[in-house]
Amino acid sequence: MLTCDTYHTPHSLAEALELWSKAPEGSRIVAGATDILPWARDGRAGDVHVPELIDVTRISELDGYTVQNGRVRLGAGTVYQDFLTEQTLMRYLPCMPYCSIWFADDQIRAQASLTGNLVNASPAADGTPAVVALNGEIELARLDGEDIVRRLIPVVDFIRGPGQTQLTKDEIATAVVLDTAQGYGGSFQKVGLRRSLVISVACAAGLVKADHDGRLFEDVRLAVGGVGPRPIRLLEVEQSLKGERISHDLIEQVAQAATDTVGSRSRQEYRREVIVNFVRAAIEDALTNQPNVNISFEDAREEHYA
Amino acid sequence: MPKLTITANVNGRKISRETQPFSRLLDFLREDLNLTGAKEGCGAGECGTCSVFVDGTLVKSCLMPAAKAQGTRIETIEGLAKPGSLTVLQKAFHKTGASQCGYCIPGMVMAATSALRENPNADIEEIKERLGGNICRCTGYTKIFEAVEMTKAILAGDSPESVLEEDKVGDSYIGANVRRLDAPSKVSGRLKYAADIKMYDMLQMQVLRSPFAHATIRSIDTHEAEAMDGVACVITADDVPGNDGFGVFVHDQPIMARGKVRHVGEAVAAVAAEDVLTARRALSKIKVEYEALPGLYDPSEAMKPDAPIIHDYAPDNLIKHIPIRKGDIEKGFAEADIILEDDFSTQQVEHAYLEPEAGIAYVDPDDVVVVISPSQNITHHRHMLAEIIAKPINKVRFIMSPVGGGFGGKEDMIYQGMLALGAMKTHRPVQLNFTREESLIASAKRHPARIHYKMGLKLDGRLTAISFDMLSDGGAYGMSSEGVMRKAAILSCGPYKVDNVNIDTRAVYTNNTPSGAFRTFGGMQAQFATESMMDMAAETLGMDPFAIRRINMMTIGATTHTQQTLETASLDRVLAAAETASRWEKGAPTVRGSERRDLCGPDTRQSCTLGARIKTNHNNPRFCAQVA
Ligand SMILES: Cc1cc2nc3c(=O)[nH]c(=O)nc-3n(C[C@H](O)[C@H](O)[C@H](O)COP(=O)(O)OP(=O)(O)OC[C@H]3O[C@@H](n4cnc5c(N)ncnc54)[C@H](O)[C@@H]3O)c2cc1C
Ligand code: FES
Ligand code: FES
Repeated sequence: MLTCDTYHTPHSLAEALELWSKAPEGSRIVAGATDILPWARDGRAGDVHVPELIDVTRISELDGYTVQNGRVRLGAGTVYQDFLTEQTLMRYLPCMPYCSIWFADDQIRAQASLTGNLVNASPAADGTPAVVALNGEIELARLDGEDIVRRLIPVVDFIRGPGQTQLTKDEIATAVVLDTAQGYGGSFQKVGLRRSLVISVACAAGLVKADHDGRLFEDVRLAVGGVGPRPIRLLEVEQSLKGERISHDLIEQVAQAATDTVGSRSRQEYRREVIVNFVRAAIEDALTNQPNVNISFEDAREEHYA
Repeated sequence: MPKLTITANVNGRKISRETQPFSRLLDFLREDLNLTGAKEGCGAGECGTCSVFVDGTLVKSCLMPAAKAQGTRIETIEGLAKPGSLTVLQKAFHKTGASQCGYCIPGMVMAATSALRENPNADIEEIKERLGGNICRCTGYTKIFEAVEMTKAILAGDSPESVLEEDKVGDSYIGANVRRLDAPSKVSGRLKYAADIKMYDMLQMQVLRSPFAHATIRSIDTHEAEAMDGVACVITADDVPGNDGFGVFVHDQPIMARGKVRHVGEAVAAVAAEDVLTARRALSKIKVEYEALPGLYDPSEAMKPDAPIIHDYAPDNLIKHIPIRKGDIEKGFAEADIILEDDFSTQQVEHAYLEPEAGIAYVDPDDVVVVISPSQNITHHRHMLAEIIAKPINKVRFIMSPVGGGFGGKEDMIYQGMLALGAMKTHRPVQLNFTREESLIASAKRHPARIHYKMGLKLDGRLTAISFDMLSDGGAYGMSSEGVMRKAAILSCGPYKVDNVNIDTRAVYTNNTPSGAFRTFGGMQAQFATESMMDMAAETLGMDPFAIRRINMMTIGATTHTQQTLETASLDRVLAAAETASRWEKGAPTVRGSERRDLCGPDTRQSCTLGARIKTNHNNPRFCAQVA
């Protein structure tokens, strides 16, 4: 059970930062509360009392998104469901809808923020590999006197380990900034114990762009989660595909090679096997999902692409 | 603590009400507004019994701080239709029988309402996805999906409203589609389960549970807890006035741990206070001194001579042994052409009924101790409690509240005694609502079983002998173990004629969570072994699995291994139906996996995918059935 003395609902960022900098030790920021409420239960943190909870979801500056110079800036208020309802986001961030559809359920997605997912820094967080594949950065703000100062950190570096980030005291995350990947095919792979409402055992996000004729890999982005304390970007796999002729054999070959880059938390053998299948499926699904291109595999398998 | 005033529009009416700053929306609705249609099945976002609309968006109210509802428009199950009426969807749930225990149903109706509001044209895959956050443990979902599709068709004008009317019943009710009498109360959220009931001046109980699996209790100091503001009483085993002990067969379980604890999660003390928070805080002030004892966690260790003893009355740790002998087992195996031998094991299983244990007790003006709870066994509970609290039977009353799923798991009196003691000590109504975590840790589970199986057969497939030896982990208390062992023994060799059988089923004490009643009562564990053996025998003998079963099936006039002569038998029809429905590919079961021709037929379940609505948005073919 989570209890507090005071629940604040600031309406501006300045007000929130002010409250946050003055909040007694142990106070917490709340966004969707979908991590923080279940955390304060038996078997996890148990009953927790905090002096103040500062809710950031009514801060208008954190709402909405903008697209500029090849980057999408998502306000910290962006929730997972937005990636399934906002056509613009679906187009610019093609792996996010697939990540979202496997994330919790419609009801939790309506509350759960991408920012909260990143700040919570669970090694099994679904958002992390997807954001890392999109070269994501997180924007952090704090007060310096009267002024709000902001800094941007790549998400791969922001997450230092399970539950550990580079967020410092007095800082509030205000946005996540991502590459636009319009025209790419996106994909997301996840294994857990069931379909809905399940935390990943392992997950992977893919973004692939094939050339006009669907014959060559122009660009590939792959990241995996749940297999180590921090998110892993599979840069070597990406490099070995770029410019190559698209074939099942090549995909299979790089998928096999990918396991070596993976250091696992537990159930190593199982996770290694999963990674091979994930990398292959992430690439193949992303190819299938690329809009307006028909992929021609060098070694086409009829049954899949009839 | 400064209170929080929430002003919102709830079901069309403006309300303004004080609540705690940390209340969740679910608490605010249930406790401050008495809207109990939304339920707390898990409190952690996993089940959907708490689903409500906030500004038109469906949310899980157990995960939403009430403060977030400030200034919003909230719609609960109570607000979907005018009092006394039902929405089309609610009527469709009634029509298709999409409510059993009903505990999930208000949330399910909300999720289905949301699905059709979000996309009135959603296809079945999308409907399933949109209902993915709501769990039902009873209906199997099919009827729920039928109700949603029926509603969709009516709302689209594709189907007349008359489909909602009850089907005419002809000469017989058998085979007729009869609507459930209690469905309207469930689909409207009006039905009150134990946790939904409030009584004037009622206290809330919380329970201190053992962190040890096996330990002696040296002392329990409750002074500090008792002295706290808002605490009405603290109870321990010392408060039991009569003969402490309950159980479905052997009365080996005290109301609360007496002298020692035997499993993690066993109740040690309980507090009744003005509210849950005070009761929980008081628990942390109770000091218990334990002295750890060697634990017993593996049932096969339990009967060894030097094993730790869990109950003094049972120095061999045996709860029950059921032996059955028929014919001459030696002779049977001697006649066999082949003998197959194997070991099987099954795991502990939680019932996971959506309604966590809950109840209320009070002492009425005539000194009758009354307990309201979703007990699956009220008469037996009443008799046991009378002994325990040393009252004549006419001074103990049990009222069975609607059971939000039981599946056998609510047969044990694991909390009703504590409630009675609390009510007797305070003379105020006392309520105890388990959390999901508490239900998991404290309630009985399906018996994990280990079975050693030996089967003798002729080359033509006839069974000559079966030796069946089952060892079950009964956990810390006897509960229903005896009955489960008896049923397992009776059903052990399946519906097959065997002249020579040797059957032993045993349940033993360990320091694991107690095992108890669970649908099939031991039959499932036994059948898993028997039917696996039959398949393996068919494979070994190169026979069709249906054929080997037909050769051995009991028919009218057969004598079961418990010496009952059968006057009816239907296995032939069952086998024929199963063979047709499964489109079984005839022959020995040597062909496996994708080579089989009877897999992936029209009515088999496809592998899990998600993304029906993304597909619709992009109009992009995704390749399905990725079996990795
Ligand atoms: C049933 C269920 C299913 C789930 N399924 C999934 C799943 O499939 N995949 C998955 O990855 N996760 C899942 N989760 C976890 C959770 O929903 C996500 O991690 C979610 O994105 C957290 O976001 P939130 O807005 O709810 O965070 P909150 O709980 O509000 O906050 C999480 C943490 O981030 C901090 N925080 C939040 N916002 C800010 C900010 N702007 N600045 C600084 N700190 C901040 C909070 O202080 C807290 O420490 C599930 C949770 C539940 C209950
Ligand atoms: S999801 Fe809220 S009570 Fe289970
Ligand atoms: S009817 Fe759904 S849980 Fe019982």
